[in-house]
Amino acid sequence: MTDEPRSYEQAAGRIEEIIKRLDSGEAGLRETLDLVREGRELVEWCAGELEAVGAGLEELRLDELVARLERGGAAPGGAEPGSGP
Amino acid sequence: MDEANQAGARPAGIEGSQLKGPFPVGEYAAALRTRLREMARIQVFGEVSNLGVRAKAVYFELRDQTGALPCSMWRTDYDRIGVELENGAQVVLAGGCDYYPGSATSSPSFTFRASGLRVAGEGELLAQIERLRRKLHAEGLFDPQKDLHRPALPRAIGVVTGERGKARDDVLAGLGRRGWAGRLVWAFAPVQDRRAAPLITRALQDLAAVGHVDAIVVARGGGSVMDLMAFSDETLCRTVAMLPVPVIASVGHHTDRTLIDDVASVSCSTPTHAAESAVRLHCGDARRAAAAAAGRLERGGRRAVVERARRLTALSRAPAEHVSSERMRMHQRVREMRAAGARREADEASVTRRRLLVLRRQSERLAAASSREDGVAGKQARELSRAAGSILTGRRRDLERLSLALAAHDPERTLERGYALVERRDGEPVTSAAAAREESVVSLRFADGRVGARIDQEEETS
Repeated sequence: MTDEPRSYEQAAGRIEEIIKRLDSGEAGLRETLDLVREGRELVEWCAGELEAVGAGLEELRLDELVARLERGGAAPGGAEPGSGP
Repeated sequence: MDEANQAGARPAGIEGSQLKGPFPVGEYAAALRTRLREMARIQVFGEVSNLGVRAKAVYFELRDQTGALPCSMWRTDYDRIGVELENGAQVVLAGGCDYYPGSATSSPSFTFRASGLRVAGEGELLAQIERLRRKLHAEGLFDPQKDLHRPALPRAIGVVTGERGKARDDVLAGLGRRGWAGRLVWAFAPVQDRRAAPLITRALQDLAAVGHVDAIVVARGGGSVMDLMAFSDETLCRTVAMLPVPVIASVGHHTDRTLIDDVASVSCSTPTHAAESAVRLHCGDARRAAAAAAGRLERGGRRAVVERARRLTALSRAPAEHVSSERMRMHQRVREMRAAGARREADEASVTRRRLLVLRRQSERLAAASSREDGVAGKQARELSRAAGSILTGRRRDLERLSLALAAHDPERTLERGYALVERRDGEPVTSAAAAREESVVSLRFADGRVGARIDQEEETS
């Protein structure tokens, strides 16, 4: 997999396509191995996304975030906007 | 009071109070209703809001900029007038005050009981909202939010709502239903008064800028048109329209329609529904689906490799199996050929025996015929033998005569009589003196041997 999937549903859709192709039995050995590798990577990516929203609810208050930023501190949760899909 | 009723006695009043009583509240409520009904019946006008049409009565509020009045009208009166009320309608009502005293199990309520009604025109508030709706729509501001990608599984969600409202709990309940437990950024803001619109606008901007959220839920419970006016604010709606983060709006009840519902990415009827729209996947289901997909991938990959390995194994066995079957086939053919040969040999022997028998019989027949002819042949043979003896005798005599004649000419006989033969060294006879002069050395052959001789040229001249 050369590119990160844009979203969870995109990754899940691609996994479905891969499984459908594998189930068809039409893929050659090389393609099969490539598809399985890509599928594993996508499943791992999806598992990471699910883990991020399953570890426990993290409740923050916007006014506190803003106040912290105005004081020069970093926002919790990292400073990578759009790090999700 | 229950104790007092059970005791059948009025409780003592508040010590030191100069007021009459205490009276049973039901008795006082009934007196209040009587008094209110005695008030003069009048006409009032204002804008209809929070309209609810029930089976027995129609309820609504009549409102203007300075105050409001809870109103009701019996369905019989409402249906008789034949108008379709709607929120925002400007109306004139005729009626008077009324009071429902309630009971041990039902709540009391005050109402302006209208018996007459006239529609005075479109409500200014709703008309104002409608004008703004058309304006924003004409500017294409209903579309940008709809075009935004709304992730099915956001990592972080922002929520704009009142800090103490029920909407907050509803949002949490909706997220819980989805099994979602990610990062939730609360942006608490007033949702009703004059300060509401600018603060909500600011909260949305801050959430998009510093909250790192993937979706924003704007939630508020039900209310009158006036209560919800903040969510039809032009600045707020323009901000929502241009926000790069999808906004899911849930403002008022399903019958209410504010402008934020039009410009938002999605409009929902309840905060719970809004939370579920923000997280479209059920996380538990998604985890099970991911695990199942991983299993199917593993099985698919393994099956593809194993099947090919089996096929290769079968292919590798094929030549040996082919040779083996070919060998068996050849052996079978050899056995068949041997059997055929044996049969053929037996047949040939039988034929040969029959032919020998035939030949033997023919031979016997011929032998019998031959013995019959032997007599004739013997006679002829004897005649032939006599003729042959006569011929041989004649020829033997001729041969002796010729032999004698030949001996007379034999040079060896001449040599025996004392003559010598002159020969060159190569054995050729020298038959003349001239030939002898050409030779320097010659050979003289006598009957008993040879001797060499040298030619003397001098004797020639004498």
